[in-house]
Amino acid sequence: MNSILYLLRKTVKNEILDTLRHPLKFILYAFVAVSMIYGAVRGYTAGDDLGNSEIFSDPRLLSGAYLAVLFFISIPIMLKGLSSGTSFFSLSDVNNLFVAPVSPKKILVYGIGRQLASMLVLVVTFAAYGGMIIKMFRVTVSQAAVLIIGIALMLILVQLVTLMIFCLASTHPIRAKVMKYFIYGMAFFALGTVIIYSFTKGISVESIFSAISLPMLEYIPFVGWMHGFVFGIMESDLTRIIVFGVLTFLSGISGIILLKVTRLDFYEDVLSQAESYQEFREAVREGKFSDKVMFGNKEIKLRKKGINKGRGASSIFYKHLLEGGRRSRFMFFNINTFVLIFVALVIGFGIKQAKSDIEPTIIYLSAMIILAYVQFFFSASGDWVKELTKPYIYLIPDGAVKKLVMAAATGIIKPFTDGIITFVILAFVAGGQPVDVITAALTYGSFGTLYIAANVLAQRLVGIDSTGGIFITFYMSMIVLTLLPGVVIGLVVLSTMSGSYGFIAATLLGAPLFIWNMIVSAGIFIACRNLLNNTE
Amino acid sequence: MLNVSHLTKKYHRFVANDNLSFIVNDGETAVLAGPNGAGKSTAIKCIAGLLRFDGEIEICGFNNKSIDAKKILGYVPEIPAPFELLTVWEHMEFIARAYRLEDWEKRAEELMSRLELTDKRDKLGKELSKGMQQKISICCAMLIEPKVVLFDEPLVGLDPHAIKELKAMLGEMKKNGTTIIISTHMLESVEDIWDKVFIMMNGKIEAERTRRFVEESGENLEELFFNITEKKQTGADAQ
Repeated sequence: MNSILYLLRKTVKNEILDTLRHPLKFILYAFVAVSMIYGAVRGYTAGDDLGNSEIFSDPRLLSGAYLAVLFFISIPIMLKGLSSGTSFFSLSDVNNLFVAPVSPKKILVYGIGRQLASMLVLVVTFAAYGGMIIKMFRVTVSQAAVLIIGIALMLILVQLVTLMIFCLASTHPIRAKVMKYFIYGMAFFALGTVIIYSFTKGISVESIFSAISLPMLEYIPFVGWMHGFVFGIMESDLTRIIVFGVLTFLSGISGIILLKVTRLDFYEDVLSQAESYQEFREAVREGKFSDKVMFGNKEIKLRKKGINKGRGASSIFYKHLLEGGRRSRFMFFNINTFVLIFVALVIGFGIKQAKSDIEPTIIYLSAMIILAYVQFFFSASGDWVKELTKPYIYLIPDGAVKKLVMAAATGIIKPFTDGIITFVILAFVAGGQPVDVITAALTYGSFGTLYIAANVLAQRLVGIDSTGGIFITFYMSMIVLTLLPGVVIGLVVLSTMSGSYGFIAATLLGAPLFIWNMIVSAGIFIACRNLLNNTE
Repeated sequence: MLNVSHLTKKYHRFVANDNLSFIVNDGETAVLAGPNGAGKSTAIKCIAGLLRFDGEIEICGFNNKSIDAKKILGYVPEIPAPFELLTVWEHMEFIARAYRLEDWEKRAEELMSRLELTDKRDKLGKELSKGMQQKISICCAMLIEPKVVLFDEPLVGLDPHAIKELKAMLGEMKKNGTTIIISTHMLESVEDIWDKVFIMMNGKIEAERTRRFVEESGENLEELFFNITEKKQTGADAQ
């Protein structure tokens, strides 16, 4: 154990020293910390608008959202533990620690402990939203603290449960299969219960709220128990505190007991996972998202063979279409599209519920702004970013702007298709003017182009091989800088014309924004054509 | 023909290539030799147009970053980087389309056959071993029938058959007047194919020899290599 403690001590010490030696890194961490504290305080002091909404003050929404968060953080970790418990270890652990005369159990505890420490970041992130939660859901400070502590406890519990799952299933393929079905079953049970209940009671916000807060959901192992325990404390329900507290405690303690009595041999399982995890870490560090890294060795069926179209730069675009088709059967319609539709519907139903006589254009305006923000998180790694990591795009004998546009084309098209699908579906809920639907879809799409252009600009300014933190800071600054004039123009148009055309406010703000986004993006593409002159 | 004139490449204060000048004529095979960190790969990447640099590089009279130069330049990188979701054959198709090649299929088949890739035709890039990926890089570079071709440590990771075949291909290209530049730190791997050798150390060319000079003078190239590299290394250590 001494060697593990030494390793931990030195790792922590060197990490701190390294941060202090790199002022930029230190400033970045400090900036993130200050932003989080500011966010927490600001959320608490300025959340009145949200707090006034009836929809958020319904405790059933908080209950359902909290259960969803618990599922979201637990299921992936449990499934990972099942497949070998293994993102806990790095390749340097495998190469140095596994061959050392240290007990495998101690090494496993070390791996899980380290994983837990990294999870604390998640808790801190949730804590930053504490202020907002208090205002939005009208809970007390102590109730918000209970919610956040509950998430921290869930992270500990899920690690212990993972340990239990791993001990039981690591050498028994049938048990592993059963547990996999069990974990999926938990998620499907929750989802199925909510859907069936909502349908049987007739789809409405009321029935959905009742469905997501059904008491029976608290009987789902681990996740439901933790939910019951936390909400038991919040609602001072002694029976729930005792029942779910004991169940939670027992499931955690079972992991520790099983570790003590099981003979573990997990090195072989860990090895290949650690190698691919190492590859993944390096790729993330370098900003390279290769398909091998993202999809591992998942078998891909060659439904269509050959690029079949394109000459010169356009062959890059047709290659991307072929690759996209291999990643997913519906290249331009994927999980992101579902997320967008879901968010748009929540906005649509939510605003209508809060104020039934509201102008539909306000719904489109809100959805357009919120979805454009959501899209930022989807735009991190497009095909064109992957292309920059290989030499071919630099070597192809064709014009630089053409190559850049062709490499970015799939990333430009996708938000437009997402926008059209999402806003057309939203139109069924919101009604309103067709011009608002079209403008909102196009404006949303133009944000995709602008994000790519801002990325190109940031790459041009700080270099393709710059480190992640510096790049992200520049990238976000570029987005703000390039977007700002368009927003100002849009707001001017909106304020001057809203008197006569207030019923199409989304169009008044969106149309100038769309035109600006496309013009400024085209300008950036032309100005940054030299990006493809070298790999630096 | 490749003409490198006063090539200097700096990474902040570190000088990776220091005022390199050399010419490699049509049909000549030049070797950039030197220990790890001598600046060989950097020079190759500058010539391929992948890095910014000071100085001038001309490929058959064209600036190396021009479209005309790119059309006739082949490059085999040190670390192969195939497209994970393209098959071996689709790599050939992509290069043919990107370089606007005509009637390329027969040549692609032949290259694949020589490097024993024919049975891997429908395998995806991500399913191949490092050696196989290196073979794809070689096929891609050869498919365009370049006038100047750059190889960065080309033999690392190849199996004996592929090494033999690659050397044969280099011989054929040389006969056809192609300018070949190979970067390596293993002189013995290229001893039967070189015409010119530039021994690099700390970013500079410390010695330049032609095959004729070495044969006529009886100089031992390997001895010269170690004299330069180890002396410099010892000097650097002493400092």
